[in-house]
Amino acid sequence: MLKRFLMAGLSGAALLATMPMSFAAEETGSGTLYGDMQTVTQDMLDRAAGDGNNYLHTNGDYAQTRYYPASQINIANVRDLRPAWIFQTEVVDSMETTPIVVNGVMYVTTSFNHVYALDARTGEEIWHYKHNMGPITTYCCGPNNRGVAVYGDMVYMGTLDAKMVGLDAKTGKLVWETELADPELGYSETMAPTVVDGKVLIGTNGGEYGIRGFVKALDWKTGEVLWTFHTTPENSVGEWTTHDATGRDMLRDIEAEKKALEEMGDPYETLGGGVWQNPAVDKETGRIFFVVGNPSPDLDGSLRPGDNLYTDSLVSVDLETGEYVCHFQYIAHDVWDLDAVSPPILVDVMNDAGEMVPGVLHGGKTGHVYVHNRDDCSLIRHSEAMVPQENMWVLPTAEGERMLPGANGGVEWSPMAVNESLGLTYAINLHQPMTYHVESTPYPEGKLWLGGAFKVIPEERQWGNVTAVDYHTGDIRWKVKTEQPMIGGILATAGGLVFTGEGNGQFKAYDAETGSQLWKFQAGAGVNAPPSSYTVEGQQYIVVAAGGNAQLDYKRGNNIIAFTLGD
Amino acid sequence: MKLSSFGAGLGLLLVLGTGALAQDEQTMEELVELCTTCHGEEGRPIEPDYPIIWGQEFYYLYVQLKDYKSGRRANEIMQPIVEELSKDQMKAVAQVFADKEWPRIGFAAEESDIKSGQTAASAGQCTQCHLGGYNGNSRNPRLAGQNPAYLERTMLEFKDKTRLNAPDKGALFRAYDDADITAMANFMAGM
Repeated sequence: MLKRFLMAGLSGAALLATMPMSFAAEETGSGTLYGDMQTVTQDMLDRAAGDGNNYLHTNGDYAQTRYYPASQINIANVRDLRPAWIFQTEVVDSMETTPIVVNGVMYVTTSFNHVYALDARTGEEIWHYKHNMGPITTYCCGPNNRGVAVYGDMVYMGTLDAKMVGLDAKTGKLVWETELADPELGYSETMAPTVVDGKVLIGTNGGEYGIRGFVKALDWKTGEVLWTFHTTPENSVGEWTTHDATGRDMLRDIEAEKKALEEMGDPYETLGGGVWQNPAVDKETGRIFFVVGNPSPDLDGSLRPGDNLYTDSLVSVDLETGEYVCHFQYIAHDVWDLDAVSPPILVDVMNDAGEMVPGVLHGGKTGHVYVHNRDDCSLIRHSEAMVPQENMWVLPTAEGERMLPGANGGVEWSPMAVNESLGLTYAINLHQPMTYHVESTPYPEGKLWLGGAFKVIPEERQWGNVTAVDYHTGDIRWKVKTEQPMIGGILATAGGLVFTGEGNGQFKAYDAETGSQLWKFQAGAGVNAPPSSYTVEGQQYIVVAAGGNAQLDYKRGNNIIAFTLGD
Repeated sequence: MKLSSFGAGLGLLLVLGTGALAQDEQTMEELVELCTTCHGEEGRPIEPDYPIIWGQEFYYLYVQLKDYKSGRRANEIMQPIVEELSKDQMKAVAQVFADKEWPRIGFAAEESDIKSGQTAASAGQCTQCHLGGYNGNSRNPRLAGQNPAYLERTMLEFKDKTRLNAPDKGALFRAYDDADITAMANFMAGM
């Protein structure tokens, strides 16, 4: 096993020559020291992919690989992984936070927008910030928060009442607060921001409430809005596309839609298009890549004729200006909420001519991994389906139509990870059979606006899986079934491992190459948050939140659990 | 609506007189007293299918008052009461009741209702909005410990289109049979 790990898990010759005893020395030698509360520089953020001490971005680095470069914890010793400490927050509710670690200080968030700074060695609290929440919050899937972004001497968080707050990283005191949108109209924030070149980037929730989606860039020091990209352009009609990204007919009635367009005009103002997860940043080209969620109302297409651009799409815009660069729409005129939410990943991929080109990966709620050309957003390939697909694309009816996947996916908001040396991306999936019901109602002014209902079929078995996809071919390399639908996220490491958690409280490590389960821990509450990793004083840790999940009603908790190797 | 319930509310309105509802004359104290007459001195409503509003979410209460006034939520008792209220008065009275402690009605659901009610609620993904424990938040009401008859009536009124002010609820409850709705009401009321 160790031999295979040496061959496949690591490509660096220097590491190969010195493994395994020098894992820790290799990583800590190039890192920063604990305890100086050092300012997070742009250079640190740029180099995060090779930083085996800190964990500076929600998805690991600007490419969002979720591949952690430390390998002290690896396939040969992961069986010795033990809890180092457990921190319990004040809020017992759904946890989706990715712990961020800067020089031995960890920042985590909870539902309802609490932020904690912790000593990453011991779990001791340094400070605790509670957002002064306004009386109006609007969200579809739990009062979640997915974590902070760090830059300079600041920590940033989006809030359920649609604000962005900038905090002093040393004290947790509020430095500035900016209202991003009106929560009464359905806007809210659950995603973690991304900071790059002095800009704090943030999208919005609200695709279930008839919002007009956006990505905004704020000045890191003042909170001033520098630019806004609306995810639903004033001409959202598109090209009347009849087939999805995989070539399946979506059974659109184009003539009826054209007639509706004439009568009601372009629906862009209440068309939804939330952005749930962080953009990937390509510093070389100065572009960001994000995915846009479903159109509003979710199930009723009769009120929104056209392709509903740029919902259900990968979109790229210019980092400096927010100007549109390119997009690719997976499902035009979606009436199933099988949209795009898992954050995109930037890696080099093989194109159809066998050449390696800059690419983008996205794990869809459809259950496919989509592989794009980064230059123009075009689709190179899609993977095999990771979950059963049946009856696609049957149109929703008043009585309800059964179709798989159910409306939670496939891959929900859960970020994927990659191991580039293996050419694999790792996704966690749901199998949750549902019926899709449509019922047309006019825009209810900021109230839930699904245009019908999704209903889980209680008699049918639900389950999940962890799937490794070869993104150069689209083939599934391995798949491990789990007893419950999966939501949360995944982390790959240079130790040849992938870590992910389940709704039943199990937190597991798998062999990145084969999918063999190598370790598990029962956390006592649903582990439905993306793990991260860090190294302090020569000791590598894996850390994850165990707070359950509101969306799937997994057992709630309030634990942040850090693991390290036992003696 | 039960005739007796309607009669109680109507009688109250007659006692206070419609003039008392004019916003200029009506003090918050009078308004709260008026609400209390039906919703209960200690937060326990006088009829089993009237809702508990003590400790309910502020924003939910405020939106319901607005919806009664606009006609989005039809109710023969509530509409004349809110007709003359300003937004500020509606917010103020909503806050008064939101700040009170939720009363325990001590309803115990049958095991069979707990099991089937929980399954039915999971199918509707109810905790996505009403949260774990069905305690509600902001625009989504607390359901846990609510009067079971009120919960049942509300879901049935969404289902039969009597209540229209949360349109997606109608689509959802039309996908349930009445037995599931009764079980969900009892399950949540017993929490």
